Amino acid sequence: MAWRQASIVGVGATRQGKLPDETPLSLAAQAFCLALEDCGIDKGEVDGLLTMPGTTSPEGAKNYLNVGELVGVNPRFTGSLTMGGATGGALVQIAAMAIATGMAKTVACIFADTARTGGSRFAAAAGGDDSWGVWGMFGNAANSAMGFRRHMALYGSRSEHLGWIAVTCRKHAAMNPNAVMRDPITLDDHQNSRLIVDPLRLLDCCLISDGAVCVIVTSPERARDCRKRPVAIWGMGQGHTTENLRLREWWYLPHQRDCVADAYRMAGVSPKDISVAQLYDNFTVAVLFWLEHAGFCAEGEGGAFVEGGARITLGGSLPINTAGGNLSESYMQGWLHIVEGVRQLRGECGERQVADAELCLVTGRGMTLNTASCLILGH
Amino acid sequence: MNDKPKAASIRPTINDVNRPFWDGCGRGHLLVQRCSHCGRLRYPAALVCPNCLASEAQWQPMSGRGQVFSFVVFHRAYHPAWEGKVPYTVALIELDEGPVMLSNVVGVDPAKLAVGLPVAVAFEAVDDSLSIPVFKPAG
Repeated sequence: MAWRQASIVGVGATRQGKLPDETPLSLAAQAFCLALEDCGIDKGEVDGLLTMPGTTSPEGAKNYLNVGELVGVNPRFTGSLTMGGATGGALVQIAAMAIATGMAKTVACIFADTARTGGSRFAAAAGGDDSWGVWGMFGNAANSAMGFRRHMALYGSRSEHLGWIAVTCRKHAAMNPNAVMRDPITLDDHQNSRLIVDPLRLLDCCLISDGAVCVIVTSPERARDCRKRPVAIWGMGQGHTTENLRLREWWYLPHQRDCVADAYRMAGVSPKDISVAQLYDNFTVAVLFWLEHAGFCAEGEGGAFVEGGARITLGGSLPINTAGGNLSESYMQGWLHIVEGVRQLRGECGERQVADAELCLVTGRGMTLNTASCLILGH
Repeated sequence: MNDKPKAASIRPTINDVNRPFWDGCGRGHLLVQRCSHCGRLRYPAALVCPNCLASEAQWQPMSGRGQVFSFVVFHRAYHPAWEGKVPYTVALIELDEGPVMLSNVVGVDPAKLAVGLPVAVAFEAVDDSLSIPVFKPAG
């Protein structure tokens, strides 16, 4: 039996891209208003506020105070969390648990960032006091590239496989009016894009964006009276490895497999039941790994699964990242993946709508490939 | 040239926990902590054993031999210290004794590098007080 003890009723996403006239707070307010409008819930009903501080919100874990003061919400339940790209899913989970236990009735989850305009660098030396910069190990691309190189060596996967993921996400973004990158690309474009950290190329990397997202979660009872068709949370999972070098299998992120397996168990479903997936894509290779971890193909078969792109696009067995993802829609660190999951299940996606979308898997991952969260959304 | 990444302007953050490792590098030894309680090797250096939480440990010399576990080639410099050094190679090295280290593989064309390549440690002196362990293809 699926869990279904909390529902997503409102989603709001601001304009995305380069927004030099905005600040994290101005964007947060817009996203909150859009999500309230989306569900028809009055601000006074929001008694929970969970936030993820953006890269340009230096207050960090006190971000909830700034956002709460901004929008005039004095919550019974609140906090901020920093798990990188796993945070959006994790906060929706915390909101759902708060609602299920009665600690809150309606929770707004908000992320706002001006990483593009603010010139945020995602290139710090990883590993903290491991002093990885001593060996020139910088930036998020390198960790993912390290994982893919080993995958290539063990399983014969190739850069072209990643190219099909990039091409497919761009194809989907072209059908999304709010996507930042809408010009189609070809496999050749991908192969001819410059190497950043070999084996990853420019078109393997996500965007850096300004924007904000709000997701409103409430009880199934309250959800029945909202403006749009509610989306129930069927299953949730998390998995983390805090160790990097010390864990030999860190490169393959086995915690991601555990994260999705837990969500399947909670939802009472299996990979074949999933109609559409929004898989966290800070780099193309992340999608390839998720496909394996979520059981859509066996370990090592991600490359063959995405070859040609037919399986992972509209009409395929598993359309992924139907709004374009972090790669082509906008880099809201996975928050837009939740939004797109909700919209697909509501049937709001126009030409990129997946026919008969019944269950959507949404995944997130972050930090030095340490954190993972997962939602299974349905009716 | 990409085979001499000296990283002169980036120094490790040396503290009481990892100082023996870096001191060992200065003397040409690759030292890794072995827990005095459960016997596990642990790298990077840590205050307590992540297995049994005991704090006592000995510093054990490694053979310095291992193999390339995975590697990447940087085509972009993310820090001024590495400008002019791209493309350069960063690898995960699995030591014969088990620990996995992050390091550079030098003295080999990145195009000829491969997962599984046998390597051996070498120490590149940055100055009198700092030597950095890197790896070369094992003869």
